[in-house]
Amino acid sequence: MSSRAFARTGGALLGVLVFAAALALWEAWARGADSFFFPPVSEIGREASDVWPSGDFLSATGASLKRLAAGYAIGAATAVSVGLAMGSSPHVRRTLGPTTEFMRALPVIAVVPIASVILEDADAMRVAVIAFGVFFPVLVATIDGVRAVPPEIRDTAALFRLGGLARSVRVYLPAALPTIFAGLRTALSMGLVLVVISEFTGEGDGLGVYIWTQRFLFNVHGMYAGILFLGLLGFVLNGLFSRLERHMLAWHYGAIGEPVR
Amino acid sequence: MSLSADTSVVRVAGLGKRYSSDGPPALFDVTFDVTEGELLAIVGPSGCGKTTLLRIMCGLLSPSEGAVLLDGGPVTRPSAKVAVVFQDYSRSLFPWLNVLRNVTFALARDRLSKAERIARAETALNEVGLDDVGRKYPWQLSGGMQQRVAIARALASRPEVVFLDEPFASVDALTRADLQDVLLAVHAAAENRRVTIVHVTHDVDEAVYLADRVLVLTPSPGTIAASIEVELPRPRTQTATRSSPRFLEVRNEVHDVIAQARR
Amino acid sequence: MAERVARDSRPSVLREPGLLRRANVAGLLFALALLLLAEACVRLFNLFDSVAAPSDTAGALIEEISDGTLSGEIATTIVTYVQGLALAVAIGVLLGVAIGSSRTIDDATSVVVEFLRPIPAVALIPLAIFWFGLGTPTIRFLVAYAAVWPILIHTIQGVRGVDRMLFDVAATSGVTGAARIVRVSVPAALPSIATGIRISAALALVVCVTAEYFVGTEGIGHYMQDHGAAYRLPELYAAAALTGLLGLAVDVAVRSGERRVVFWVGEERARR
Repeated sequence: MSSRAFARTGGALLGVLVFAAALALWEAWARGADSFFFPPVSEIGREASDVWPSGDFLSATGASLKRLAAGYAIGAATAVSVGLAMGSSPHVRRTLGPTTEFMRALPVIAVVPIASVILEDADAMRVAVIAFGVFFPVLVATIDGVRAVPPEIRDTAALFRLGGLARSVRVYLPAALPTIFAGLRTALSMGLVLVVISEFTGEGDGLGVYIWTQRFLFNVHGMYAGILFLGLLGFVLNGLFSRLERHMLAWHYGAIGEPVR
Repeated sequence: MSLSADTSVVRVAGLGKRYSSDGPPALFDVTFDVTEGELLAIVGPSGCGKTTLLRIMCGLLSPSEGAVLLDGGPVTRPSAKVAVVFQDYSRSLFPWLNVLRNVTFALARDRLSKAERIARAETALNEVGLDDVGRKYPWQLSGGMQQRVAIARALASRPEVVFLDEPFASVDALTRADLQDVLLAVHAAAENRRVTIVHVTHDVDEAVYLADRVLVLTPSPGTIAASIEVELPRPRTQTATRSSPRFLEVRNEVHDVIAQARR
Repeated sequence: MAERVARDSRPSVLREPGLLRRANVAGLLFALALLLLAEACVRLFNLFDSVAAPSDTAGALIEEISDGTLSGEIATTIVTYVQGLALAVAIGVLLGVAIGSSRTIDDATSVVVEFLRPIPAVALIPLAIFWFGLGTPTIRFLVAYAAVWPILIHTIQGVRGVDRMLFDVAATSGVTGAARIVRVSVPAALPSIATGIRISAALALVVCVTAEYFVGTEGIGHYMQDHGAAYRLPELYAAAALTGLLGLAVDVAVRSGERRVVFWVGEERARR
């Protein structure tokens, strides 16, 4: 093995060892201290292995994912549409700009009570909250992406006499796609967080509902298990997103000379 | 006749450098001495290994074979007796420090008082023809002035040897001529008579114009193809010296050596 | 060394040329038109039970600020927010510099860091309540936890990305080890660190208000939860609007601080 490869495996090993040592320390301390809030890792692991595959938990996760998908789709689609308009026209940008900037600064949590009153259905409220939160990162990314389209491409579109809508969809959108994808990724993390927060109101079914409910059941093990699952879910979703991105942007990587990973 | 038997301040002996186990070595069996107080130019085409050679000589890189001796002691890392001027001044001057602080950057190790550090810096800046820029930031100055600051920084630490790595390659021709004369003035100044200068460049005319002696390095592998004594009178000028017969003679000789090695 | 080009990520309000020279009339008119439309809809269709009219919101805003309730809550939020953020900056920068400078520390901490990263701070709200109870320490913890990540990541990137030529200069100047980290690595990484702090500043405010909503006994977030639950919509909207303004103000403040501390960035790039 070359010395470089050796060093890299050594480094990875060190990381794993430190992580394992941290877990072992937790386990030892937790057993000794017998604290309610810091159960031993082994107990958390047992709880997780019981809970994660259980029907209730899986259906809860499914419910959350459905809401996430709905809110994400609505938020992203709206954002890309508005973003294309704002990105391609300075006039539209200036007109809508202050309003969108201000709304972007609003705390998303405020949307929870606001939407609850307007939409009586808890599910609808959650989807609305997610859509609201997803909207802005995608909007900003779309605007940036369109604005960054090189003038040569814009000119080409004009030369082909493409009308505004056609130009946006057939030229600006693909050209801005890499940047838009960056925004979509941020929005995905945002969306996951918002699903959980919106479910902290406790009604119905969902991963966030599960985590929140453990508090009232004083089931700290369940809480850890739920939170860890959430982290895992985020990790997996991010990985799937990367796959999708690579697939859809393969042409981009080729054009900029990057090897397709 | 001087009593000191050996006035070579830097000795390079059998130097070799390999970056990979297959492929030609970057440097192979490079051996030469540098005399105290001389201005030595190392010239060669791109890729001949002159930057590698310079980095090993000043201690930034270690050789695969052979050794470099400074004042008789082996060079394993950059010594306080040595200073370096890099090609890209915009990347070698710290943008968050003003000129004065950039110049005094290396002086912390000399345990001087603040007043002494500032005095040294101002002297050095004067030597390179810069007054009154101490409070400015490098990015507020022109390229030529920035490189002068880099030279002043090298001089401020009162080194025995100054290494310059293609220092004038990033400036325009007129500024280059200017800076060459700055370097000559610095070398000639009374305080600096014992300072040795090793100047690496790809510009043959520059090498001949500046140096007491020119080492020609040829690539694949990097070896010394020739060591040519320049023997032109000082002080040198851009006009008179460069049009003198001896100048033409030497630069042609260098070009011939390089062309020869290409075959 | 690839030059990292800074995208101008300021809000578009501040980015558009001419905004400061002449007011963005179209933008203001549009916003005003929206407000008038909203006002009209609420009154005409009697939506007072579901939506607060802009006029009522403005009224509530003025009233609550002048009698000190809203301003008091905002002040509380700001204090907790700043405390949490300061903690995050301290930990994030120190840890980031250590990880960025030392391959060994980087390797040792990498697995732990990658494990914790995907866990969103707000998901920890119920757990944090268990740990610290209902109150300000919990919120401070959540703010710090959330804010630490962008700072940490950007500090690591900044330190790792230091131009190697600067290290050559340091080596030939006799500046090595800890001295090199302090005198070269940190200043060179400062632009990146500043970006991380700017991102964290925005994130921390959101997390603070969100945490207050669920945990708090005080703060703007709690105010919103309280008034929302009681159907006092104008107060709720007023609080949301004020928080939005606070967010914009924080962004402006952080950027101006950034321009002072990392003064060489714009200039340097302009000269090149």
